Amino acid sequence: MTGSRYAFILAGGVGSRLCLLSERRAKPAVPFAGKYRIIDFTLSNCVNSGIFDVGVLTQYRPTSLNRHIGTGRPWDLDRTHGGVQILQPSLGAVDSDWYQGTADAIYQNLVHLRRRRVDHVLVLSGDHIYTMDYNELYRFHVAHGAHVTMAVTEVPAQLTNQFGILTTDASDRVVGFEEKPQHTRSRLASMGVYLFDRDWLIRWLLEDAAIADSSHDFGKNVIPRLVQRGDEVYAYRFEDYWQDVGTLDSYYEANRAFLAEQPPIDLARPGWVVHTQSADRPPVRFEAGSHVEQSLIANGCRIAGEVVRSVLFPGVTVPKDGVVRDSIVMQDTVLGRGAVLDRVIVDKLVEVGEGVRLGFGDDLSPNRACPEHLSSGLTVVGKGAHLPEGITVGRNARIGAYVTRAFFVGDVPSGGVVDGPESMH
Amino acid sequence: MSEVMALVLSGGGGEHLSVLSAERAVSAVPFGGKYRIVDFVLSNCFHSGIDRVGLVTQHVPTSLHDHVGAGRPWDLDRRTGGILVLRPYQTRGESGWYRGTADAIAQNWDEIEEMRPERVIVLSGDTVYRMNYRALLQTHRDRGADLTMAVTRVPLEDSRRFGMVTIDRNGRVIDVVEKPERTITPHASMGIYVFEYEVLGELLRARPVDLVLDVVRPLLQNGAHVQAHEFSGYWEDVGTVSSYYRASMELLAAEPRLVLHDTRWPILTRDEERPPVRVLHGAEILDSLIANGCQVAGRVSRSVLFPGVTVEPGATVTDSVVMADSTVERSAIVDRAILDKYVRVGAGALVGAGGVPAGPEHAWLEGLALVGKDAQIPAGTSIGRASVIGIGAGAADFETTALPAGTHTPSRSWFREPG
Repeated sequence: MTGSRYAFILAGGVGSRLCLLSERRAKPAVPFAGKYRIIDFTLSNCVNSGIFDVGVLTQYRPTSLNRHIGTGRPWDLDRTHGGVQILQPSLGAVDSDWYQGTADAIYQNLVHLRRRRVDHVLVLSGDHIYTMDYNELYRFHVAHGAHVTMAVTEVPAQLTNQFGILTTDASDRVVGFEEKPQHTRSRLASMGVYLFDRDWLIRWLLEDAAIADSSHDFGKNVIPRLVQRGDEVYAYRFEDYWQDVGTLDSYYEANRAFLAEQPPIDLARPGWVVHTQSADRPPVRFEAGSHVEQSLIANGCRIAGEVVRSVLFPGVTVPKDGVVRDSIVMQDTVLGRGAVLDRVIVDKLVEVGEGVRLGFGDDLSPNRACPEHLSSGLTVVGKGAHLPEGITVGRNARIGAYVTRAFFVGDVPSGGVVDGPESMH
Repeated sequence: MSEVMALVLSGGGGEHLSVLSAERAVSAVPFGGKYRIVDFVLSNCFHSGIDRVGLVTQHVPTSLHDHVGAGRPWDLDRRTGGILVLRPYQTRGESGWYRGTADAIAQNWDEIEEMRPERVIVLSGDTVYRMNYRALLQTHRDRGADLTMAVTRVPLEDSRRFGMVTIDRNGRVIDVVEKPERTITPHASMGIYVFEYEVLGELLRARPVDLVLDVVRPLLQNGAHVQAHEFSGYWEDVGTVSSYYRASMELLAAEPRLVLHDTRWPILTRDEERPPVRVLHGAEILDSLIANGCQVAGRVSRSVLFPGVTVEPGATVTDSVVMADSTVERSAIVDRAILDKYVRVGAGALVGAGGVPAGPEHAWLEGLALVGKDAQIPAGTSIGRASVIGIGAGAADFETTALPAGTHTPSRSWFREPG
């Protein structure tokens, strides 16, 4: 199989609507469901589908992603032939520059197709939560004689303005495509999963590169052009769970879906395990007096307090009298005694001082700095923040990464903002 | 530390662990919610900078070999050095089965020679402890010893379990007595020996069988410099049901003596990819160690759950150890029991029923019920305390719905019809 299939994964996403979570990491590197990163789902789909030759295209803040993927060991992608390669933009080759759009990103990496004996090329987005057998897509593609097949899923009518929306005919051929339309009758959204015939992909990318006013994006330019011209574009309907965790609210809800009696994805399904980089952590310690309900708790956590309807990543410590309710708490965050978290997303390595109340009160004033992303009552705390003991932080608040005691002048009201130190660059 | 090679003796069958070690070496017995016993020694090697390890196996080694593999978790998958699995083999002259610990080393001397170490550290793969061997090796070098033994203090009444070591004021070993009924020395041998390579090679020429009787004692008699190195940390031989159980329960103490949560000294193991622990509605968990991949909807207290254990709604697991991928179905009760992997306790079944049976033949179980790998306990069955349910037990082994205390059922091969 090796060498006969190749996938590009687009992992450059800025994910600006994820606010602090993607301030210092690309969206595919955002932690998810208690131990994973978002890109784990796509990478695992590849290897579980038998695709062991993968190029990951990065651009925006790739450090976290690079470290996570490493040599690709957890996915069995540390191979002599094929494996995983990180493709960061570089200088020197013809036409090299920062990637302008998704099509440009692939165009600048066409070199990787030169010696690969593949008839098809998968182009995937690293931003979504789903498990999919790409073999089905290949079969559909060949059976329909498509030149490109796009995987599509039905989305609720009120969300069609966030996706590329397709219209198909009775034979699943795509006859219309609109990027983020304000009004549409169709609810078929592109999942950012494309299977191209290799030669057509190259032809179309060359064509697009020559068009001066194109923004060189599959969704905005290339696909609409093909559909309009009547090229062989087909839509493969995917019926299972698929989630774009593009906003803080959808990120929060998607995590919480895994707390249900029947989670949307069985993460340990035999033959379809979702793989990730696991640190060596001991089993979870539930200590005397702990009270835990409907939660996902990863190895390395120590629980002596109360945890309800929450997701705890490895190494989180909840002491006696500590309370975590309806929250997501990432790796190695430590709560002081008596700290209470309610509807909060706390990034990695945060120190929550004794008696701190995070997500407090009935005031739901939207966030001062980003009211469009932070108005549903969630409070967000950035990576490495130190919250001084005894302070109270309201709802819809934003506490920046690496803030220290000096950044606080007292309690933070709902909608409040405490900006952290500027990133070094 | 390429001048040191470690030899981990993991050949032991350990009949004292009953069904837990019937189909695996003691070193491969799961311990601590996600580890195997041998992980502790291999992690010690890793943290002590020892990158040449020979693993001597003999008794049903498949499980151990599967676990250790190429040695990746301990960074022992190397081009030079790394891990060497040493199994018995035949030669023209000999049958090859190891007659004892010293014989096991002697039969593999060719392989050890190729590593060209200056010193050999012999370790037991059957004990649980965290120890930096650097200090021990330092003592050995500083004192210019031919052999250095690690010793630790044990209660005098436990002397029957250990090799007891008498040492003089300078820490030189005067005498070693195997498992004495009575002793006045508090020092037990930890089964850890540092030999000068040349010294050990010379001694093995005589084809000794047992390391203590045929190597250490003759050395002492010949007046060689045998040094003791005292270790004061946690050290536990978990080779009996009672010591295994006690060591497991101690992990649940408020301040356990064996620290697993030390990020500077992680216990390294072959980690399976499992999702985080799922605590469902109605679950109640107290004083327990629960590994990734578990799903708990029932009540778990003072117990250790390995990866992939399911505790269904209304089920109760108390004072027990439940190994990987076992299931305790609805309303079942598991009380003071050790369940091996892939066990299924049917709905409403009760493991650990009634009182503890009297009689010395039951004493070794201390009232614990042991359930072998793959056993399927039918719904509604009750199993008395101090019982041993054989590997692969199935419906045929449970003709009555109430097995009295002290019952033993036979083990079954998965590929043979029961009967």
